[in-house]
Amino acid sequence: MTPLLEFVDVSFNYDRRPVVQGLNFTVEQGECAALIGPNGVGKTTLLRLAAGTLVGSQGRISLAGQGPDTLPRGEAAKVVALVPQRFEVPFDFTVEQIVEQGRTPYIGLFAGFKRRDREAVERALELADVASLRNRIFNELSGGERQRVKIALGLAQEPRLLLLDEPTQSLDLGRQLELLGLIKTLSEEGVTVLAAMHDLQLIEGTFSSVLLLEPSHKLRKGRPRDILQADILERAFDCPPQRHPKLVGESRALLEKML
Amino acid sequence: METEIAEKIVAGSPPRTDRRSGFSSHAFFMLILALLLIVLAIVFVFSMGMGATKLGVREVLASLIHWHRSGDTNSVILFEIRLPRVLASALVGAALSVAGLLFQGLFRNPMADPYVIGTSGGAALGAGIGLFLLPGFSFLGFGATAAMAFAGSVATMALVYWLARIGGRVPVVTLLLAGFAVSTMFSYSTYFLVVLDDNFGLRTRVLASWLTGVIAVPRWSQLEVTAVMIGCGFILCFPLARRLNTLALGDDYARQVGVQVEKTHLAIILTGSLITAAAVSLGGVISFVGLIIPHMARLVLGPNHVRLLPVTAIAGAIFLVLADTLARTVLAPSEVPVGLITACIGGPFFLYLLRRSRREYAL
Repeated sequence: MTPLLEFVDVSFNYDRRPVVQGLNFTVEQGECAALIGPNGVGKTTLLRLAAGTLVGSQGRISLAGQGPDTLPRGEAAKVVALVPQRFEVPFDFTVEQIVEQGRTPYIGLFAGFKRRDREAVERALELADVASLRNRIFNELSGGERQRVKIALGLAQEPRLLLLDEPTQSLDLGRQLELLGLIKTLSEEGVTVLAAMHDLQLIEGTFSSVLLLEPSHKLRKGRPRDILQADILERAFDCPPQRHPKLVGESRALLEKML
Repeated sequence: METEIAEKIVAGSPPRTDRRSGFSSHAFFMLILALLLIVLAIVFVFSMGMGATKLGVREVLASLIHWHRSGDTNSVILFEIRLPRVLASALVGAALSVAGLLFQGLFRNPMADPYVIGTSGGAALGAGIGLFLLPGFSFLGFGATAAMAFAGSVATMALVYWLARIGGRVPVVTLLLAGFAVSTMFSYSTYFLVVLDDNFGLRTRVLASWLTGVIAVPRWSQLEVTAVMIGCGFILCFPLARRLNTLALGDDYARQVGVQVEKTHLAIILTGSLITAAAVSLGGVISFVGLIIPHMARLVLGPNHVRLLPVTAIAGAIFLVLADTLARTVLAPSEVPVGLITACIGGPFFLYLLRRSRREYAL
């Protein structure tokens, strides 16, 4: 079966500084994958390359078997949606107005919203559990609510692959667990997910696979319990000895109790 | 949590008591639009009646409805002086307001105005050159000042865009900075021309008043040319307004959903600058309209640019017709520059709204 997302020998430089080098991996339809790695290793770059918002890479990136030459940007936006980490909205847009922007790939320049678009927005609002917030001003929402609205925005694109950039960042534990629940639900609904994750203790139980991007530009992929091993993480994250495994073990035990 | 969400999906959405339905917000928009059109009509007729010779509403309406252009004095006043001037004010007000809306949306900054990318400096220099160096020049019915101001605006816009372009992209901050620098350079260069004034300072005074904004009585041919330009600009604005909503979420996001960001930026800059230049050629550099009208419209209607566009255009027209009526009547028989009125009345009103709304902008 053709993978939904495929990177073949992909490299990308920012001002001649290599950020990702020789990346090879695939994400299959139905997968719920976590992308982990230390700060600055290129997780956001990888997601932006996959979403097509960063151009100028070497190698081949294909979505559902098609490269950028055969799949124009507007069409690719119907396959993949990226929920960015930072999201500044300068004006007082309501939640519904924000989520409606997710329909941009489906609406022509001179056309308006059709019934199909309205339904997609409704479904996205429902799935992300933000329908009750629809008339609230986005900038007045709490961090957890904003994250869910951003995910609804991505879902309004009706993508087959949803890319999330640090969705649990700066959320309290309760909101983190809510968000993990949402990711799990989306995965059960058939949406393929690739999420850059900061908190390693949140991965098991939600994600079916883990992609570990190491500072050496190497990428490991495997099941969570295979990758989330003390020795692997200690090396990849350059952790002080004895500290990290303990942290992972304790957090995991705590989370298992809560879930 | 996941079971809760799953249950909601199965059971359908809970009753939404807090939802303002799509119809009601649409109805509110239509109501505002209808109200503004009525106000515009009233202001139009009122303004036509005001002046040294006061004309009654009935007289104005009868002349307009029957398009009765007899040779008597009142008819000449109405059709040759007041109507062109009121039409020009409406056009200039609508154009500057819409340009302000476009630039505020593009720069994601409610402080942006139609002159943000240097149009005013270019217009000033162009007007100065026209007035001092090419006094006999005319083009399409426009005198040297107006025609050269238009040319100056367009040339400056092109220069600023070229300066701000880095490797095929035009970062908005670079564009703002380049616009500010070029505009300031050109504005001050204009004062060199003042040195050339050997006509007892008369031309300097004309230039000064033009730079404060004065809507002279235009010829019909001038009105036709600018109306076509501004009208074409407005038509282009409709697809751009939808794109502005997407661009408000950031260029990166817009790119992700398939918007051709650079081309859209260019289309917005071209459209905004051309309608500004057309407005400048009719009324000089009128400040404040393009800043406050979109802002007020946003306070009432929210930030959806598709709805803001027609409302901003009509509100801008109303505001400037009123301001110009005041400008030509408040110290009659002398005239006050209309820019002075827009700043003195628009400014405090804007500040009052800003205080009342108590909203913060995320910049």
